[in-house]
Amino acid sequence: MSHMSFQPRGAEVTADADYIVIGSGAGGAAAAVTLARAGAGVLIVEAGPWRDPEDYASSTYGALRDMMDDWGSTITMGRALWPVVQARLVGGTTVINSAICVRTPADIFEEWQQGHGVGAPAYAERIWAWQDMLESELCVAETGPEAMGRSNQLALKGDAAAGYDGHVIKRYAKGCVGSGQCLQGCRSMKKQSTNLNYVPETLMRGGSILSCAPVDKILFDGSKAIGVTGRFLHPQTRAKGAPFSARAKLGVIVAASATWSPVILRQSGLTHKAVGAGFRSHPGTGVFGVYDEPVDMNTGVTQGWASTRFRKDPGLKLETLSIPMEMAISRLAGGGRALMERIAGYRHIAMWVHALRARSVGRVDVGWTGRPVVRFGLDEADMRRFREGMWRVAQLHFAAGAREVIPGIVGLPYSLGPKEVDAIATGPLDPRNYVAILSHLFGGCTMGADPSRSVCDGDGRVHGRDRLWVADASLMPDNIGVNPQHTIMAMAMEVATGALRGGPCP
Amino acid sequence: MVPLIRSAMCDLLPAAGGLPGVHDTGITAFLTQLRRETTSLTWVGLCLGAVLYALTPVLTIGVPLPSFMLSPERRDRHANGITNTQIYLLRQAVVLLKMYACMCWGQDANVRRHFQIAPYPADPGTFRASS
Ligand SMILES: Cc1cc2nc3c(=O)[nH]c(=O)nc-3n(C[C@H](O)[C@H](O)[C@H](O)COP(=O)(O)OP(=O)(O)OC[C@H]3O[C@@H](n4cnc5c(N)ncnc54)[C@H](O)[C@@H]3O)c2cc1C
Ligand code: SF4
Repeated sequence: MSHMSFQPRGAEVTADADYIVIGSGAGGAAAAVTLARAGAGVLIVEAGPWRDPEDYASSTYGALRDMMDDWGSTITMGRALWPVVQARLVGGTTVINSAICVRTPADIFEEWQQGHGVGAPAYAERIWAWQDMLESELCVAETGPEAMGRSNQLALKGDAAAGYDGHVIKRYAKGCVGSGQCLQGCRSMKKQSTNLNYVPETLMRGGSILSCAPVDKILFDGSKAIGVTGRFLHPQTRAKGAPFSARAKLGVIVAASATWSPVILRQSGLTHKAVGAGFRSHPGTGVFGVYDEPVDMNTGVTQGWASTRFRKDPGLKLETLSIPMEMAISRLAGGGRALMERIAGYRHIAMWVHALRARSVGRVDVGWTGRPVVRFGLDEADMRRFREGMWRVAQLHFAAGAREVIPGIVGLPYSLGPKEVDAIATGPLDPRNYVAILSHLFGGCTMGADPSRSVCDGDGRVHGRDRLWVADASLMPDNIGVNPQHTIMAMAMEVATGALRGGPCP
Repeated sequence: MVPLIRSAMCDLLPAAGGLPGVHDTGITAFLTQLRRETTSLTWVGLCLGAVLYALTPVLTIGVPLPSFMLSPERRDRHANGITNTQIYLLRQAVVLLKMYACMCWGQDANVRRHFQIAPYPADPGTFRASS
């Protein structure tokens, strides 16, 4: 067997391997290929189906149905109900993300060392070495001017005037043609999501994968992780299929994401209060600029420009973002004829966003349906910084020549001119007045030197358990203020290397 | 429930200013497909949103009638008013209706042509079998 997809109800499917990797997204695929390159036998067990680029949906409806975890219905349980966006298919969220590649900033490791006793200078060096390798293997490059599109070009212009020290984004994409479809998956195979590289390479090196196979539990012999169990789930009908059980000779690596990894550990009997704790995020939102000339933000690369100038203070990353037209218009306020009038101007709007390095901390619990419940909200200090992010994005639009901006804040006018823009900076502090999403997630199985406050040690090994590691976003003890995929993949490769040694890194 | 959801969505996205409304973009077939394919949670959310939408003209325009019994002009005022209501959970319930209405509308080939956007190819809905 190299790939087994959904199996209807019937006899239990069994498998074995040296290592089992749960999940095939950024962390899982990076861990799996590292193990396979070292000659280990790897079985990836992935909850979602394997969709090739020709299987990808083009519409937002199709992407929600075919790629998102439970139709994108996970929301934060806090004062505001904000969507928590994650994919569920082979390749995980790398299939639907914008492939932005940012190296882990040095100050992050210093913070981890001070706050959590992990991430020493030697560790940082190894992470950067993995990132060097990832950048070359996954063809990291700046988007060429021909693929930028007008929204990104306008941001570059605004940046030159506003002095935001921005840049053309580097992405895991080879020859991006700027179709603006990253969020529905790259049908032209330019984006280097892990279903196109590290998962097939793992199989080519003798590994196997079960798809449509959500893991329910990790099996233990005493404290030693020895395998996983679950039941196949049909990705369309959601019918339960055959049970499966897989044995791992050398260990189990959990990489099911910041929301699902804590759930799997809890369901497997790890009841320590640190499991699910320390959930963090970069909540983000957009501000539309309205331009005299058509922008057609659906053309050009999905995300082509960014600024990290405000990453440390007040903790913001600014970016362009083109979302599909049907999603963009649903962000315009109002209903009825008033809404239709606003939609009529669609071609003239550009959406730019900010992501906040929020200091607020939440947790992931297991809901009564067995799905993750994400308890998270922004405190007042974070809301002030969140608001500032929107104000800075609005200022950038004006620097780029926008006639007005559409902030999308309940309680503020629908649109604001350059002289009214400070209304955003003094806008409401109630998160319910804002529409935001969480797409960068961290923690839940955090690493740390203190077993009473963390789930894993500095090598990703679960405290108090043998042969069990975590290798995804849930491992990160804090958020990082930049796009996380590059850090997650490098950390996962480091965890897998430690797992191969069977013990802690020197 | 489909007629109630459709009624709310048609109010939220009516034909206006030369643009078709969601009524003209296959909303009935869209909702039938959605009902068949989506999760119970999403469908329940849409049903709840539609019921709340129908019952709340009294809050938005002060008329104690369900939305589907209002004149077109009052329906339009209700559709705009409810998206700006101060009651958060009500606003969120309508956000879901609006989001799916926009999906149906925005994937329509005529609408896309209007905005000079290429039509979407059909979503294959396929995935790899065992190999
Ligand atoms: C819209 C969007 C855009 C983004 N853009 C960028 C970007 O441009 N650059 C960047 O750096 N980051 C980006 N991110 C974030 C980045 O994609 C994620 O941080 C990263 O993919 C997380 O990696 P992960 O391995 O933790 O989880 P994932 O990549 O989500 O992988 C987890 C995998 O585990 C599987 N799984 C879940 N439960 C189970 C189970 N029970 N059994 C088996 N398998 C299971 C899932 O199906 C999934 O395949 C974006 C995120 C989103 C949502
Ligand atoms: S913008 Fe288009 S071509 Fe470029 S990576 Fe995204 S989906 Fe692929």
